[in-house]
Amino acid sequence: MSATRNPTDWKSDVMQKRIARRYAAERRFKLMGLFAVMLSAAFLAFLLFTMLGNGLRGFTRTEIALQVDFPASPLLLDPANITDQGLVGANLPMVTSEVAKKALGPDADALLSPTAWTSIRDAIKADPKILSRTETISVPASTVIDLAAKGKGSPQAEAAVARLKQQGVLSTGFNASFLTGSDGTDPTQVGIWGAFKGSLLTMLVTLLLSFPVGVATALYLEEYARKSWWTDIIEVSINNLAAVPSIIFGLLGLSIFLNFMHLPRSAALVGGMTLALMTMPVIVIAGRNAIKSVPPSIRDAALGIGASPVQVVFQHVLPLALPGILTGTIIGMARALGETAPLLMIGMRAFIATPPGGITDPATVLPVQIFLWSDEVSKGFVEKTSAAIIVLLVFLLAMNGLAIYLRNKFEKRW
Amino acid sequence: MTGPAIFLLLAGLGAIAWVSARARALRLQTVARTSGRRDAVHSLPGYHGWYVALWTLIPAAIFLAIWANVSPGLITQTVLSDPAAQSLPADAFSRSAILGEARNIASGAQAAAFNPAARALVEPYRTAMNEYGIAGAALALVLAFAGGAYAFTRVRPDFRARTRVERLVMASLLIASLLAIVTTLGIVVSLLWESIRFFSMVNPVDFLFGTKWSPQSAAMGYGNKDAFGAVPLFWGTIFIGAIIAMVVAIPLGLMSAIYLTQYARPQVRKWMKPILEVLAGVPTVVYGYFAALTIAPALRDFAVSVGIHGASSESALAAGLVMGVMIIPFVSSMADDSIAAVPQSMRDGSLAMGATTSETIRKVLIPAALPGVVGGVLLAVSRAIGETMIVVMAAGLAANLTLNPFSSVTTVTTQIVQLLTGDQEFDSAKTLAAFALGLVLFIVTLLLNIVALRVVKKYREAYE
Repeated sequence: MSATRNPTDWKSDVMQKRIARRYAAERRFKLMGLFAVMLSAAFLAFLLFTMLGNGLRGFTRTEIALQVDFPASPLLLDPANITDQGLVGANLPMVTSEVAKKALGPDADALLSPTAWTSIRDAIKADPKILSRTETISVPASTVIDLAAKGKGSPQAEAAVARLKQQGVLSTGFNASFLTGSDGTDPTQVGIWGAFKGSLLTMLVTLLLSFPVGVATALYLEEYARKSWWTDIIEVSINNLAAVPSIIFGLLGLSIFLNFMHLPRSAALVGGMTLALMTMPVIVIAGRNAIKSVPPSIRDAALGIGASPVQVVFQHVLPLALPGILTGTIIGMARALGETAPLLMIGMRAFIATPPGGITDPATVLPVQIFLWSDEVSKGFVEKTSAAIIVLLVFLLAMNGLAIYLRNKFEKRW
Repeated sequence: MTGPAIFLLLAGLGAIAWVSARARALRLQTVARTSGRRDAVHSLPGYHGWYVALWTLIPAAIFLAIWANVSPGLITQTVLSDPAAQSLPADAFSRSAILGEARNIASGAQAAAFNPAARALVEPYRTAMNEYGIAGAALALVLAFAGGAYAFTRVRPDFRARTRVERLVMASLLIASLLAIVTTLGIVVSLLWESIRFFSMVNPVDFLFGTKWSPQSAAMGYGNKDAFGAVPLFWGTIFIGAIIAMVVAIPLGLMSAIYLTQYARPQVRKWMKPILEVLAGVPTVVYGYFAALTIAPALRDFAVSVGIHGASSESALAAGLVMGVMIIPFVSSMADDSIAAVPQSMRDGSLAMGATTSETIRKVLIPAALPGVVGGVLLAVSRAIGETMIVVMAAGLAANLTLNPFSSVTTVTTQIVQLLTGDQEFDSAKTLAAFALGLVLFIVTLLLNIVALRVVKKYREAYE
């Protein structure tokens, strides 16, 4: 710097303008940051509101009250013989269609869901005595009518809805069968229970396999293994597995579990095993961090009064590290619960209309069910898909919330 | 005897072994104590209990595992020597079909026989299964008793049961940790194995550098020669995952991290950070559905209204945009970490010189944190190119080599799903191609991860 340089005149116009420019740039930059955060949050809000807007309607169903005069109907059913076999031969679909035509006009087939007769079947099963009298039974409306009643139909359907409303037979109520039913071809009849049960079974297998192995690995690496090329390989494998794309695990499951070991296809067992391989590294990494944070003084104290290394770990370190391990496990399980791609590879995308009874039965899971429904052409599946997404998101948020709660509750500083 | 029954029986035996050995050890302990030698018993009674229980269970369990694999072959042998099996056809294929049917009926997996020849074999099968089942169970029980008895005789004051049990605990911990290696090996071997079979049918050079992808036509018998050129797939993957998604994720993620670490009040930060993290926790199938149902049609309408040619309802842009949003939290948390790792003195120094906060961020913090940010971006790219559901649902199936983001492109993961779902034979080039694609994907993501971790690690060391 030359000695002759004058002190900067901060009051001069040039400098004032320059400062103003810099401050403006500062404000712009800060606003850009705020904008970025807001945009991300807005996207999330948009996503959630779209799903809620589409999906909440999926929990309701439009029903048409149908007056069935059982004695006068051409039902081929012996009231003394109400068995599943007998009901199959009772010609119910045709009877339903005829009754509906009498009550609602010649276009009744288009108004009722193709599976409307199952409601009448269930009513007969629940109380065979109604066969001797006239009974009003609510049956699901067809998808077109359902959508029109919720304000999203064609003008033609809207007119039909107006007519039905005038007749006073139309009602919209909570769709309990959505929570208790399984996959089907008719959107008015489908439900998520089958997929949900499949998810539960798959998660159970995943948890039973990945939790013990993950915790054992974390304990071994953190507490016992001396640093060597051997433990380095284990460590590198675990870190790599945590970063491998999930679909690769699907390929592994397909070629090893299905083609090589011949385990049952589409089963929760194979799905759970595949997801367990994915979840295990997450649990190991979380477990190691939790174990690392247990202070050495606790180990030293236990060793000092004569505990063996195994006793130190299982009676002192593990109980203290458990909340942290559990938090990591819940997060890993939440990720596994939302996973779709690897399960497609092992055949869990099959059409399965009955909930699985065990871990070797063909099953599907919630995310795969969402994927399958999203491919359906029928319009009624849009709201069902969104409704299933709401259920899935509620579960994920609950699991993550539980993880955060556990972390806050059990967080210890030594 | 059925499997669950044997397991219950063994579990019961194990429990009995544990209780009785523990009781005996307790008695020994009391005797030793009353005779004034307090330190005469080496291990606590519980360890003796475990020692005997393990000796009861493990040999029997190992035997049962072997038996389950060996006995089906022996059963078939027995059935074949039965007089009813004399009439079986000599042809190996129909022979095994009949045997399989008879086996299914005998085990109750199938209700009735279609083949009359199988019906005759059901009874021999059932007897053979019964005999071998009982023999297996009896041998397992003998082993359990022998193991338990041997171990029980060793319950003495000076016996070091704890050492033995702990050795087994250590061994099982070691075995558990090996599972990670086994899984990695399993991935590599299964991908390599199927890929080698694929490359015996299709030239690797044609696969890696060919520009025409139409496995469907190859499957229909038009020849394999140039139907498996994967370049359009690689391009589609890069276009969506590494270009469009990153154009969204890098600025938004980086600016979010900057705002939340440098400007936001703690209260705002406390709320916004988890909200951004929710973006990473939403299942990808939900993003895919959202992209396909809401974003893609909107983009197509927009493209049509401004007159863009070739706008498709499944577009690279829709998949890329949504994937970019999904990636934001990864970029922002990596950027967050590396900005936080820049020493406070550098920031203070810059501010003390009169720089504004934004100048400090742009000219000091970002350059200093750059390696960490780059590492984070590489990890995000690796995640984006391995992402499946969003592209399966929103990007389309047409293998296009195009720069137009509004047109449909296909990706590696989409094609893997496409090739492997539905009914397929496992010796056609079409299905094996999926494993070759998987191998490429695995290698690329592995390399990206290794490079990213190197970059991040190297940078971290610079300030320590």
